[in-house]
Parts: sequence; structure tokens; C-alpha cells
Amino acid sequence: MVLAARTPGDEAVTTPRVLDVSGLPAYDISSRSPLWLGQLLMCLIEGSLFLILIAMYFYLRLSVDVWPPPGVQLPNLILPTLALIPLIASCAGSYLASEAAKMNDRRGMLVGMALNLVLAIVFLVLRTVEWYGLNFTWKADVHGSIVWSILFLHTYDVVADLIMTTVLVVLVASGRYGEKQRLGVHVDSVLWYFLVAIWLPLYAVVYWGSHVVGAPQ
Amino acid sequence: MNPVLETAERNEPFGNLEPEAIDKTWRDERGLKGWLSVTTHQAIGKRYIVTAFMFLLLGGLEALLMRLQLSSPENTFLGPGRYNQLFTVHGTTMMFLFAVPVMEGMGVYFVPLMLGTRNVAFPRLNAFGYWMYLAGGLLFYGAALTNTAPDAGWFAYPPLSGPQYSPGKGVDVWAQMITFTEISALCVAVELIATILRMRAPGMSLNRMPLFCWGMLVQSFMVLFAMPAVMVASTVMLLNDRTIGTHFVNPAEGGDPLLYQHIFWFFGHPEVYIIFIPALGMVSAIMEGSTRRGVFGYPAVVLSLVANAFVAFGLWVHHMFATGLPQIGEAYFTAASMMIAITSGVIIFCWIATLWTGRIHLTAALHFVFGFIVIFVLGGMTGVMLASVPLNLQAHDSYFVVGHFHYVLIGGALFPLFGAFHYWFPKFTGRMIDERLGKIAFWILFFGFNLTFFPMHIVGLNGMTRRIYTYPEIVGWQNMNLLATAGAFTILLGGIVFIANVLTSRKSGAPAGNDPWEAGTLEWATSSPPANYNFVHLPFINSRYPLWAGKADRGFVTGMRSDRREVLVTSVLDAEPHHRYVLPGSTIWPFVTAAGLSVGLVGSIFAFSGYFVASALGMIGVIGWFWPREPLEMKP
Ligand code: HEM
Ligand SMILES: [Cu+2]
Repeated sequence: MVLAARTPGDEAVTTPRVLDVSGLPAYDISSRSPLWLGQLLMCLIEGSLFLILIAMYFYLRLSVDVWPPPGVQLPNLILPTLALIPLIASCAGSYLASEAAKMNDRRGMLVGMALNLVLAIVFLVLRTVEWYGLNFTWKADVHGSIVWSILFLHTYDVVADLIMTTVLVVLVASGRYGEKQRLGVHVDSVLWYFLVAIWLPLYAVVYWGSHVVGAPQ
Repeated sequence: MNPVLETAERNEPFGNLEPEAIDKTWRDERGLKGWLSVTTHQAIGKRYIVTAFMFLLLGGLEALLMRLQLSSPENTFLGPGRYNQLFTVHGTTMMFLFAVPVMEGMGVYFVPLMLGTRNVAFPRLNAFGYWMYLAGGLLFYGAALTNTAPDAGWFAYPPLSGPQYSPGKGVDVWAQMITFTEISALCVAVELIATILRMRAPGMSLNRMPLFCWGMLVQSFMVLFAMPAVMVASTVMLLNDRTIGTHFVNPAEGGDPLLYQHIFWFFGHPEVYIIFIPALGMVSAIMEGSTRRGVFGYPAVVLSLVANAFVAFGLWVHHMFATGLPQIGEAYFTAASMMIAITSGVIIFCWIATLWTGRIHLTAALHFVFGFIVIFVLGGMTGVMLASVPLNLQAHDSYFVVGHFHYVLIGGALFPLFGAFHYWFPKFTGRMIDERLGKIAFWILFFGFNLTFFPMHIVGLNGMTRRIYTYPEIVGWQNMNLLATAGAFTILLGGIVFIANVLTSRKSGAPAGNDPWEAGTLEWATSSPPANYNFVHLPFINSRYPLWAGKADRGFVTGMRSDRREVLVTSVLDAEPHHRYVLPGSTIWPFVTAAGLSVGLVGSIFAFSGYFVASALGMIGVIGWFWPREPLEMKP
């Protein structure tokens, strides 16, 4: 126990035990916060969503002989692989911001989040360029449907998280923040790490999948 | 500490020190806006439960209409189209709008009380989840009343449910209603896990946690892993195939309707346990309150609950035996399906031992528990039969299956729920529910239930398939069907007695006091009904049944501030106090967010751009929800 139970001496048997918590901190910006756990659980939900999509990809792959279907160009590997660099680097920004949030270092939070945003936007630009190189849509066939579903859902989550990060930047820059918002900056980084980490297997499936488990047309 | 109050404290273990201040902090605003802004878990929990009971009534009404149609051969009361809509809407309502939400509601109401804390970890998320659920229900019934009810069955198998064979918007409404209710279930799961792992009373190590909370914890994890699957099936696969031209279930373009079945049942089988595991927790709570002893073999029960959850994710293919999967796979799924009988058996034997060694107090609630055991064991036995592939192939899609799943669903979820409702009624309302009427309702329901569903097994073995709107006279099914219809009306009678009992006892039942059953867990340590903040002083415990411990063992927490919504965060395993945490206040933003999101999601049934509307409105709502409010800094 952090705090020992205190039993008033003279009537030890009949008086209820008292646990005085007034000395405990009134907030905590760390992985011990319920909000942090909540964010982790959100990541688990999205993680199971993406794992199901990956399982579907392979199920669909196994049920046809030719993959990707005739007419679909194998995806270019250079651009999406290059795009990993800013994406992974952006975690450094998240990390800076979340550590600065713990220490209430306003500049650190702003620099960290700005770095995160800029690198993430570079990643999104590269991704958009890459999309123009794909010569199929979700309407083409089931290969297109699954690939675009993965791309769309992941991009959607990335954009949503970036908007929330932008809101946090505005709050911190305007000085309108307290512990709750710092905690927000801290847990925001959890979601970002997750979105980056889950992209690695998704990237492997979407871009390497048809190279590795594909079959000649 | 004030000496006078300290004396009062001794009589009332977790008694009253500064009720005025804390009351002011936790009070809800009045008026419509206040009502829409409520974030206390009891209010939200009650809303879930009441709304779910409304849907139970609607689902029951649909069942009665179906039973009327089937009561005699070649009946023309309902046509085939209408009948298809009725069983689809009935099944969907019961599964998505009644059974899961009612369990979530019980969890939302009781988990914080049983853990000795003031609210769930994310009160606004909780409110938001409820509004999403309500919106989903309104969408579904709004569509049904404007004659766009889905009619492809509660699992909407393609190709029947696909764009080609189900034109119209019914199936789209079905698919999107799933999204609403799953969002709601996910919200509750997240907040309950966080509450259970981080906000238990100091001293409530995991092995002292009430079994109902264990049930909700296990169920919540199942929700996290299962619900995304049904969203993939209903939205990504089915709805997108229907609205934007993807090809997931279109064999012509490489898609596969069987894949839909896999994904759906990867959710659908755990779904049964999502309903059933909280019910196991309720039964355990009722047992403890009615035998005045802890459940025998607590660690075995907990392990079985957890094992059930794991095994439940490996069973889905037993719904697909008739699709001709490889035999080795079928053998595996048969074995796994039988395994669930072992873990469930362990729990049943622990309960029997509890009853055997306890001082039984034969309450109405305990009647429902006995009814549950009898019915559920029967349903479990037909389940083991159905798990064997040869029998399954014969009985597939027959009334034998309809009989089986109503035995497990009604026996496994509804009877425990009714028992729990009788048991916890004093906590909800502050008054006792009439025991005699409760027992009468039980006997009518028990009799009516068996009268309805037992004949279905026989008529199923005689060849009656499910989802048929009528049958010719020569097949000789009319007697069994007439019995089943009579049973359904008996259930209606039981339901009326139950409702009458609830309504009168609410007004004129005997006052209950804090702990009418002399039970041992923390929900009974506070007033009935509890104040918005649950406990003036948070309890501090060192045994599994703190109210049965001697007075010297009881304790309470001091030093929490009463001028803001403070709760105590404790460690995951041993519940050692770690820090104080301020919950956000009541606000209308969760309602606004849910409303905005709903508008967009309804729009998405007509055009994909609806999702962008939903996102934009939802994002505005979320920003309002998280917008900082004064005071920004929290001084200790
Ligand atoms: C209140 C008494 C109830 C009666 C009399 C009743 C009766 C029926 C009937 C007649 C059918 C249609 C069978 C067919 O034509 O194939 C049916 C289907 C179904 N019922 Fe019930 N039911 C009741 C309660 C429940 C409850 C409480 C649940 C779930 C918690 C439930 C879940 C279902 C499901 C999932 C289906 C399958 C729908 C489909 O085929 O798509 N029922 N029920
Ligand atoms: Cu199953």
C-alpha cells in the first residue's frame, strides 16, 4: 500500500479504518491514467478491425488462381517504402510532445506536435501521389475492394488523429490548457504510435502482397 | 474530523460526512437540456435498461404475430413477405436492440457501485454510447414503420441480402443499425474495462472483485474483439457492395459469400457469450444474496468465465457445418464446441455446491435462477447434439434449431436477467418488489416458455424448417404449433404480471433500506437508490465480501475533494491507491455528437458522402466535447 491504513489508537476495534488520500497527486500524466488505458483499448478495437481485413485479404487471395486479377499492375514499391520514412520519423514528434506534456513544457509540446503534423502530412502527400499510380478502383474486382478498404480506413484514421492533434496544437498555443489537455497530448501519442505500427503489416500486405503471394497472369 | 459525525460513522460504515457539498458537485441540471446532458452512470444505465425493455416488448409483439400466423395450417393472416420481415426484425431486435444493450445497461448501472467508485471512467462516452444506441433503434423502427423493414434474416446472408436479390433500402438500414449498436457496445466495453481495471475501491484486488464485475470484464474484452468483425461484415462488405459497388460477396468478381459467413459468425458466436457471460455474473450475485455465502469455488468460476471467452472465439464454424467445409475443420470445431460444455459445467457445479452449503432464502430471484439452470442445461444438451456434424446436417435450419437457440438465449439470458431485476429492484427504486407476484410471474413464464419452445424441437425433428410462413395440413404439424402459440400467449401473460408487479411495487412496495438481502458486496453499502455520487466516502476494503466482514475490517477513504467530481485511481492488480482523477462534468456534447453522427450515418444509406457528413458533424461534436472548461489547472 502506498498509504498505510490509519487506525485511531484508543478505539482500534470498533472504529472503521480510514485511508487518507489527500496526499496523493490530483492528476497523473502517465500510463496509469484511465484515459491512457481507454486510448489503448481504442487501439485494440482498431487493431482487430485491421487484422480482420488482413485475414480477408489472404482468404480472398486463396480462393482465386490469378492474383492480382488480370489487368491490375503490380504496385510500385518505391514510393510507399519511401513514405515510411517520414511516417516512422513522425513518432519522434509524438514522443517529444508526450514527454513535454508530462513536464508541462509548452514549447516542447508545440515543437513535438508540429513535427508530428508536418511529417505526417508529408506522408499523406506521398500516399496520395502513390494512389494515382494504382490502376484499379474498389469497383474493379474483389482485389480492388479489399486493397482500397484497407487504404481508405487507415487514411481515415490518420486524418482523424491529425485533426485532433491540430486541435491540441491550437489549445496549447493559445494557452488554454491544463492537466486534462496535457493528458490529452500524452494519450494522443499512443494512438499515433498505433497508427504507425499497424501500417507496417498493412503496407506489407497491400504493396508486397501481390508481389509475394501473387500468381502470374 | 468532526467528532459527532465520527460517531455516526461508526454506525454506518461508509456513512455521511459532507453530503451537501458533494451533492452539489454531482447534481444534474434540471430541464430538457439537463436531461440530455446527464452523465451519471445510474441514469444512463437505467435508460439502457428501460429502452431495451421497450425493444423486448416490440420483439415479443412480432413473435406473437408470427405465432398467430403459424397456429394453424395454411393460415392467411400474414403473407410470406410480411412474415420474412417479421422474423428478421424480431431476431435483429432481440439480439442487437435488446439482449446486448440490456446487459450493457446492467453493467453500466452496477459495476461502479460494486467496485465502490462514483461513476464510470468515461462518463461522457457512456452518454454518447446510449444516444447512439437509441438512434440506431429509432432508425430501425422508423424504417420498419415506413415499410422498409429488412427481410433477409437476422444474419442477412448474401447473396439473398446482396444488391441483386434484396433491392430497396431494408438491408441497408439493417446494416447501418448494426453500426449504431456496435458503436454503443464498444463505448460501454471501453469504459467498463477502464473502470474495472483502474477504479476499484482500494484493497479490492482482482481476486476480491465481485463475479458480476468479472463477467462484465470478460464480456467487454469479447466485445472489443468481436464487434469489429460484424462491422466489417455488415458495413465494409455488405453495405459497400450494395451502395458503392465493391465486390466482397460477389462471386462473379472474385468475392465470396462464404467469407461473409465466416466474418459474421466470428462475431456471431461470441455474441451469444456477450449476452450470456454477464448473465452468469448476475446468477452468481443472486446466489450470494440468497444463500448468504460466497459462491463456492470462486477461482474456478473466474477461470471458467475467462476460458469460455477464449473458446468462444474458436467456435464460429459450427454455424456453417452445412456449407461443406473440409472435414478436418469440422472435426476441430465439433471438439471445440463440446469443450464449452466443460467450462460451463464447472460453473454449474460450483453453483450447486453453493446452494448445497448455503442457507437458502427462496426468493423470487432465486426462482428465476433455478428456472435458468433447468432451461439452460436443456438448451446446452441440444447444443452438444447440434455440435455433432451428422446430426447438425439433419437438423440444420429446422425448428429444432429454433427451439435450441431460444432455450439458450431465453434460458441463458432472459431468466437470469429477470432474476437480477427482482434481486436488484430494491437498489434501483428503494422499494421491495412483491415476492409473491414475482414467483407467480416466474411460474407462468417458466411454464409458458417450455410450452412454446419444447414442441419446436419435436416439430423440427418431424421436418418443419425455420422461416416458413405456413405449412400444409397433411404434414401434421398443427398440434405442436398450436401448443407453441398457446405458450407464446402464456409468456405474454407472465410478462403482464411482471410489468404490473414492477409498476405497483415501484410506487407502493415496502421500503428496502440499504441492504435488504444482507448481501456482502458494495452496491449494498449505500442508499437505495444511490445518490449520483454513489458513496459519500469511498469504501476501502480488505475482503471479498466487505459487508459480511466484521466492523473492524470495514474502512473508508478520506481526503477526497467534494467540490469537484473526484474519483480514486488504483493499481490494476492490487487496487493500491495511485492518484486522484477528476471526471468531466455533465454536458450536452455527447448528445450533439451522437445526433450529428446519426444524421450522417443515415445519409450514408443513400450515398457514400453521408460518411463525410457524419465525420464532419462528429468531429465538431467531439471538439465541443473536449473543449477545455474552467478551471484549467487542478490545484490539489
Ligand atoms: C418472447 C418469446 C419469444 C417467442 C414467442 C419467439 C418466437 C420466435 C419465432 C416464432 C421465430 C421465427 C422462427 C422462424 O420462422 O424461423 C423466432 C426467431 C428468432 N428469435 Fe425468437 N422468440 C421469443 C423471444 C426471443 C428472444 C428473447 C430472443 C433473443 C434474445 C430471440 C431471438 C430470435 C432469433 C435470433 C430468431 C431468428 C430470426 C431469424 O430467423 O432471422 N427470440 N422467435
Ligand atoms: Cu455458436
